[in-house]
Amino acid sequence: MAILIKQVELSWLDRTYVWPILKGMAITLGHFFRQLFTPTAKRFTIQYPEMKKEMPEGYRGLHELKRFEDGSVKCVACFMCAEACPARCITIEAEEFSDLNLTQGFEEKRPKRFEIDLLRCIFCGMCEEACPKDAIWLRKDYELVGVDREGMRYGKWDLLNTYAGLDGKPVLTTDPKPSTPSRKEVACS
Amino acid sequence: MPTLAHLLHLSPETLWMVAKVLIVFGGPFTLASLLTWVERRGAAMIQDRIGPNRAALFGKWRLLGLPQIAADGIKAFLKEDLVPPHVNKLVFWVAPLLTFLPAVMGFAIIPFGQSFVSGGQTYHLSLLDPGNGMGMLYPLAIGSMAVYGVLTAAWSSNNKWSILGGMRASAQMVSYEIGMSLAVITVFMRAGAYDPHLIIQAQLGLWNVLPQFLGFLVFTTCMFAETNRLPFDFAEGEAEIVAGYLTEYGSMKFALMYLSEYVHMVTASALIVTLYFGGWRVPFVADPGVWLSVLAFVIKLLCFCWLFIWIRWTLPRFRYDQLMKFGWKVMLPLSMANFLIHAFLMFKGA
Ligand code: SF4
Ligand code: SF4
Repeated sequence: MAILIKQVELSWLDRTYVWPILKGMAITLGHFFRQLFTPTAKRFTIQYPEMKKEMPEGYRGLHELKRFEDGSVKCVACFMCAEACPARCITIEAEEFSDLNLTQGFEEKRPKRFEIDLLRCIFCGMCEEACPKDAIWLRKDYELVGVDREGMRYGKWDLLNTYAGLDGKPVLTTDPKPSTPSRKEVACS
Repeated sequence: MPTLAHLLHLSPETLWMVAKVLIVFGGPFTLASLLTWVERRGAAMIQDRIGPNRAALFGKWRLLGLPQIAADGIKAFLKEDLVPPHVNKLVFWVAPLLTFLPAVMGFAIIPFGQSFVSGGQTYHLSLLDPGNGMGMLYPLAIGSMAVYGVLTAAWSSNNKWSILGGMRASAQMVSYEIGMSLAVITVFMRAGAYDPHLIIQAQLGLWNVLPQFLGFLVFTTCMFAETNRLPFDFAEGEAEIVAGYLTEYGSMKFALMYLSEYVHMVTASALIVTLYFGGWRVPFVADPGVWLSVLAFVIKLLCFCWLFIWIRWTLPRFRYDQLMKFGWKVMLPLSMANFLIHAFLMFKGA
């Protein structure tokens, strides 16, 4: 079957070369001046270290392990995230703690070790989906760097503190003592 | 001038010559490196980008990205100077010079300001004084020599991409040179001389661009082809033949070739200004004096340099056969028509 090519009929003005070129030049000059007089903040290019892109809602950036108000980790070491993870990059070691803490209700399991190998993580958000306790979130930090492979394995305390600075929360290094403080005391302090 | 010359124990002529050499070789060279910056920032703005603005003097002053020129120069110097094993070493080394020198030399004849008299002596603001018998033929001859640089670079590289690029450059030259020459001849005919000083003299009151608009169009288009710039940069058409004649070049040799394109652009702009835009003439001022005339010349020069850049980011590359067709079937008849019209008008005494 023959293919019909649509022939564009050029006017004599267009066939002079000069007029269409002038039109094109007007367009490029328009862009030039528009860009020249656009303040840097409004240009398309984001001048990275000085300006940062505000990521949209639902962006899947660096993980955070959520905590309760008293600083104890929400995660109950149920291994759901590790199961769901397609990259198999979550390593959890559970531990028991029997002292009943009011804040944490009746759970008595928590991760002793919770490690995500962020070099293998594909930021799919499956862990967030799978978590029954809403204990792991993927948030907006995309500036994830490390100097070596080991540095990219984020442990429990790294993950608990990833957004501590941003949210103005204290940096945690230990689990709170199970029986103290009670929920009330935390709320008052 | 004579006092300064006396202080330096030189005769005024020698001092003036040294000064002119410095200006004529340093000027286009500096301008060319500035133009690389203008090109990059200008291109970025045209494409709604920002362009290089990070290089900073001593890590502090960014100066709109101007230090990028220095950074690029340093980079080019410090890079490994690789000569591939299969090239013809001698010719490979000579080629960058062959491209670069014609580009700078062409400027020697251009008067970049009004001549002035000081201490009973006339000083001409062009490296070669008027009445040297070469006139505008010199830059045209030298300018066409630049293709030898491209050709030798292509030939010595011993590379298929390079040779294709070189072949294109030479074929391209054949197809535009005639049209260009005819356009220039019309200017000579009208001015009754081919000395640039006299051509500028003849443009008092009315610049050539108005009566010879066709010639101007043809000449400018040919200059685009001669400087190997878009839309006629097939010799290095990177989408088709890697980098054409530049494929095997690296480090400072590449930088020299690259810079010579810009020097060429400056020289070409100077030629257009001299032939069609009254050289150093200022509109409505018959006798502008030295400084004003130099200023006018530089402003016109910069306008045309910008035109080169502007066109480059507006038009896509022509196809190689399109230029041949364009050169022979459009440019040649156009400049021929221009020539004949003016010959006829002169015959009628207009
Ligand atoms: S985001 Fe995906 S790949 Fe990364 S840890 Fe969670 S489930 Fe695994
Ligand atoms: S983060 Fe959520 S899914 Fe993963 S082990 Fe803890 S509670 Fe279970």
